[in-house]
Amino acid sequence: MSLTLFHRHVLEDYLSDFGTKANPNHLAVIRRPAIFSVLAHRGHDASVENELKSVEGIDVRDCAPGEWLVVSTSAGAAAIENLLADIAGASIVDQSDGRALLRVHGPNVRKILAKCVAVDLHPDSFPIGTSANMLCCHVAVNLARTGADTFEIAVPRSFCGSVFEEVMEMGREFALTAAFADS
Amino acid sequence: MASLITCPHCGTRPKEEFSIRGTALTRPHPAASEEDWHRYVYLRDNPKGRYQEYWHHAAGCRRWLVVDRDNVTHDVFSVTDAAPARGASE
Amino acid sequence: MTSYRLASAGSVNRGQPLTFTFDGKSYKGFEGDSLASALLANDQMLMGRSFKYHRPRGPVTAGSSEPNALMTIGSGARAEPNVRATVAELYDGLAAVSQNRWPSLAFDVGAVNGLLSPMLGAGFYYKTFMWPAALWEKLYEPVIRRAAGLGKLAMQADPDRYEKSWAHCDLLVIGSGPAGLMAALAAGRAGARVILADEGFRLGGSLLSESASVGGVSAADFASAMIEELEALPNVTLMPRATVFGWYDDMVFGAVERVQKHVGTPSPDLPMERLWRIAARRAILATGSEERPLVFGGNDKPGVMTASAMRTYANRYGVAAGGKVAIFTNGGSGYRTAADLVAAGVDVTAIIDARVQSADAVPGGVRVIRNGGVVGTKGRKRLEALIAERSGFQEQITCDALAMAGGWSPIVHLMCQRGAKPVWSDEAQAFLAPDVGSAFIAVGSAAGADTISTCLKEGATKAMMLARDLGFAAYEMNIPEVEGEYDPAFAPVWYVPGARDKAFVDFQNDVAVSDLGLAQREGFRHIEHTKRYTTAGMATDQGKLGNVATIGIVAGMRGVSPAEIGTTTFRPFYTPVSFGALAGTSRGEHAAPVRTSPLHDWAKKNGATFVEAGVWHRSAWFSREGEKGWRDSVDREVQNVRRNAGLCDVSTLGKIEIFGKGAAEFLNRIYCNNFLKLPVGKARYGLMLREDGMIFDDGTTSRFSEHHYVMTTTTAYAAEVMAHLEFASQTFWPDLDVRFVSVSDQWAQMSLAGPRARTIMSRVVEDDISDAAFPYLAAKTVTLRGGLKARLFRISFSGELAYELAVPAGYGEAVADAIMEAGRDEGICAYGVEALNVLRIEKGFITHSEIDGRTTPDDLGLGRMMALQKPDFIGKRMSTRFGLTAADRLQLVGLRPLEKLEEFSAGAHLLKEDATPSMANDQGWVSSTCHSPTLGHTIGLAMLRSGRERYGETIVVWDGLHGREVLAQVCPPVFVDPENRKLQG
Ligand SMILES: [Zn+2]
Repeated sequence: MSLTLFHRHVLEDYLSDFGTKANPNHLAVIRRPAIFSVLAHRGHDASVENELKSVEGIDVRDCAPGEWLVVSTSAGAAAIENLLADIAGASIVDQSDGRALLRVHGPNVRKILAKCVAVDLHPDSFPIGTSANMLCCHVAVNLARTGADTFEIAVPRSFCGSVFEEVMEMGREFALTAAFADS
Repeated sequence: MASLITCPHCGTRPKEEFSIRGTALTRPHPAASEEDWHRYVYLRDNPKGRYQEYWHHAAGCRRWLVVDRDNVTHDVFSVTDAAPARGASE
Repeated sequence: MTSYRLASAGSVNRGQPLTFTFDGKSYKGFEGDSLASALLANDQMLMGRSFKYHRPRGPVTAGSSEPNALMTIGSGARAEPNVRATVAELYDGLAAVSQNRWPSLAFDVGAVNGLLSPMLGAGFYYKTFMWPAALWEKLYEPVIRRAAGLGKLAMQADPDRYEKSWAHCDLLVIGSGPAGLMAALAAGRAGARVILADEGFRLGGSLLSESASVGGVSAADFASAMIEELEALPNVTLMPRATVFGWYDDMVFGAVERVQKHVGTPSPDLPMERLWRIAARRAILATGSEERPLVFGGNDKPGVMTASAMRTYANRYGVAAGGKVAIFTNGGSGYRTAADLVAAGVDVTAIIDARVQSADAVPGGVRVIRNGGVVGTKGRKRLEALIAERSGFQEQITCDALAMAGGWSPIVHLMCQRGAKPVWSDEAQAFLAPDVGSAFIAVGSAAGADTISTCLKEGATKAMMLARDLGFAAYEMNIPEVEGEYDPAFAPVWYVPGARDKAFVDFQNDVAVSDLGLAQREGFRHIEHTKRYTTAGMATDQGKLGNVATIGIVAGMRGVSPAEIGTTTFRPFYTPVSFGALAGTSRGEHAAPVRTSPLHDWAKKNGATFVEAGVWHRSAWFSREGEKGWRDSVDREVQNVRRNAGLCDVSTLGKIEIFGKGAAEFLNRIYCNNFLKLPVGKARYGLMLREDGMIFDDGTTSRFSEHHYVMTTTTAYAAEVMAHLEFASQTFWPDLDVRFVSVSDQWAQMSLAGPRARTIMSRVVEDDISDAAFPYLAAKTVTLRGGLKARLFRISFSGELAYELAVPAGYGEAVADAIMEAGRDEGICAYGVEALNVLRIEKGFITHSEIDGRTTPDDLGLGRMMALQKPDFIGKRMSTRFGLTAADRLQLVGLRPLEKLEEFSAGAHLLKEDATPSMANDQGWVSSTCHSPTLGHTIGLAMLRSGRERYGETIVVWDGLHGREVLAQVCPPVFVDPENRKLQG
């Protein structure tokens, strides 16, 4: 007996792929991102960070001293695991199913997110490439600025429905739309 | 309404991101006297004024911090990582 | 009806008429009007009735300090009581009704209170209704509430949305008058991120009300030009309709923005109000100053208002407060008002100046009575005349409006909210802003400046000072010339003696000078006592208008300086903030975030009823057709697990991945039992203690490789355990090389339990899971048929042969479906946390009902787990102290009723037979109970004094709450399979 197991996104019932036209302010739910926790062992904070920064095709998100989230929307989890496995002094943990990745984009994205997070997202204090753990709609998430008007939020899966609904509610005045995206 | 704590790792954050454990005490040696352990586990000075407390940045870096502040005025004098080796500089 | 709309003055948009109603009657106003200005234009001076005496009242201000003109705006669920008509922005279709009157505003039965007023002085309620106390609820309170009081709340749910937002800036400027505008522009031009917030619906503050010209144009046009420039600066955010109501720790300011209060048909996509938390590096208080009313007999008659309010109605709204206006002044403001009114074509009949002489210019043709005072007023629903007195001679002067100019009080409320008290200045005859450090400073008339030109200059210089402080390059500001300024200097007059009627200091709460005197005579002399005894300053306006006069008059009565009297305490909020705004989106289902398991949908389609456990929604039981209640479902689930197999969602358990060369040592110090020698591929049950020796949490930890462990915690303590591990590793033993991260959300975890569990599991898992290959407490990564990697643990919380299978969360539902399918012919069922609880009680397994912070491992029969030979573990040192090892401690036992049909509940206490229920006779208590379908009766776990020595004893289970006493037999706390044959089979 062989099992055919279907993977289900936590927001499957919240979104339909059909007939949704993305507005200028749009929330893309990345369908299958690869997300890994990377933990540097004692004395390896700097070397692990350097190695991570030299790996191609991944985004490195800051969580804490010696702790990162590695995110990839192009390669699968197995490929990323291979890329990270050789980093000396680091332990890695697959979190691809533990976090949902929401990409919020648009001219009013900062106004929307100001209703979700307490952190100042002005480009002078949170420039492109910045990322950090923070409370977003009462839930601890990792938020990264990936573009002038683009932010990515890695949300714990069990809270994702709540956070998603709240962000959409906060985006209502700016006609925020949402849909799945592959990358 | 709000107050802010500046985490040495994450920057300025609202107090909702933290949980407070109380006085920043040092755990006695396992073989220390019963007296010392009793004091560590049960007794607190509870001063009015300047106070060093353990704050956990629960919704951020999840590091334990020592917040040195005045609990009357909420003037914060310093916020440091509780583990010296994981200070901001490393 | 006379129209009081002036021919041309003001900046309302006469091209845009608006229709509105007041008490059902239709009126017209213009865009740009406030509700009060539009009513005044329509000869509706009477706008409310006072709280206690139901005296007729008109507006006394044109701003947010208004005590009288409170109305209910809107209808149905949107009816909002106690709105100040003076700040309510007029919109087409606005419907307002008056309050605190019956049957109508013009004829109010309650006004008879006014006739009784000699009896209704300060402390009246306290004295009259002290006794008998029982009558309070039935008689006094309902009567008082009907008679005295403000608007009524709509009793329907608020249909509107509210939200909260953060804002961050270098400089927050509070107030958009001359000082605030200049400050915002100076800092904005220098490049600072500026937020300019103002409570008004139009920015410009006092510039909108003054007749002077600034920079060669009218003050209002100057304000418009400034605002236009500010709007163009990308680093400046303008926030009209936003009241900064509070100053909090670390320079966070609270503000409420009325987003749609001025809209007839609100958009469902916008909030009604938005609560702002503004984190500012620096802030400027440019809130201006409040003109003080004068305290004289009959000063509450509709038509009596402050001189500056009268100027605002004329200059900003183009409305004359009356057709024949008198002015009572102690300074320049009265003369300026007279001049502005004369210029607008209004008849000014007299200026009564309390001073002997002054240099203020008198407008042509206006009579001035120097060294005079007003001692009384005439008229009922509107002022008809005043009685002026000079040198003992009285004179009646006909007028339908009276402006009073009593001097100025800087508005320093925000700056005093964190403990600092305002400082009395003899020179300014006012309380000035305290020094609260260099991050938050007052400018303009909030800082005691008196003229527009000083305000402009101060705004610019002080903002530049703050901007430089923050590292921004200085930007030189041109200070525009002001023409036609007046000197607002005044000589203080706290009270005009010889009053023929009540002289009010607090209009809304009807507190008169006589009440202040009574409070002094009766010993309530401290200003905080005077306030509470007389209720001065305790109304919805919080004494914005009257507090300074109260202090001045009390100082006068006591023959001391106001400095000695001091102020009462300033607290947020500056003006009332709605609960809707404070709650934001946190209401109904969104009151708190919801946490759902990856098996939520699986449970739902299998018929689960969910229960809230903290933020989790967990499946409690799975109803089937024909089952009459939850007990039927739970009994069936339990029996099916014992007989066949059941699948339960345990994804909510905390899961922590632990790595490092120091991990084994770390776990050994975290748990009270041994973990150093846990073999790879094995799980072990562990107990964590608190430092005081009590159990903190329990769970299993499995070793996946030499330096890699996976820990599970209870659902309830998942977050606490994680924080505990972090605390221990970061502060106790930072030198141990151990790292960990929560993977609670990564894995869907399910427990498959029952005699058929292995058969079913082996249909899903490729690996050999025979008892030899995968014995009790085995743990390893397995491959599911089809290739998916999963983690399998042979652990049991039911006493049955059981497995916990963890799969990546996204596959959870599919795998659970596959197991249900694979187990269909084995009789599998889904079971919920209720059955889980019954199964564990039958087996005597503990949860946080037993681990309640007061129990040691030995108390729960787990004393053998304590590895006291270890050099250190958390809780070790305190575990051995006297008291924790005493023989008479409460110990875990089982209880079965002597009569099978008898039931008892958790929380019941234990007594020896024939003992009376008392603290002294207390033998312990019941921690968990359930109906055991396996045994066919109620069973319980209990904490009993020296319990393990008392098996076989009959004991009374005493339940005072349910009034129930049941005899039970004490037994070992295991009801099913004490030899663990099923578990290990
Ligand atoms: Zn932090």
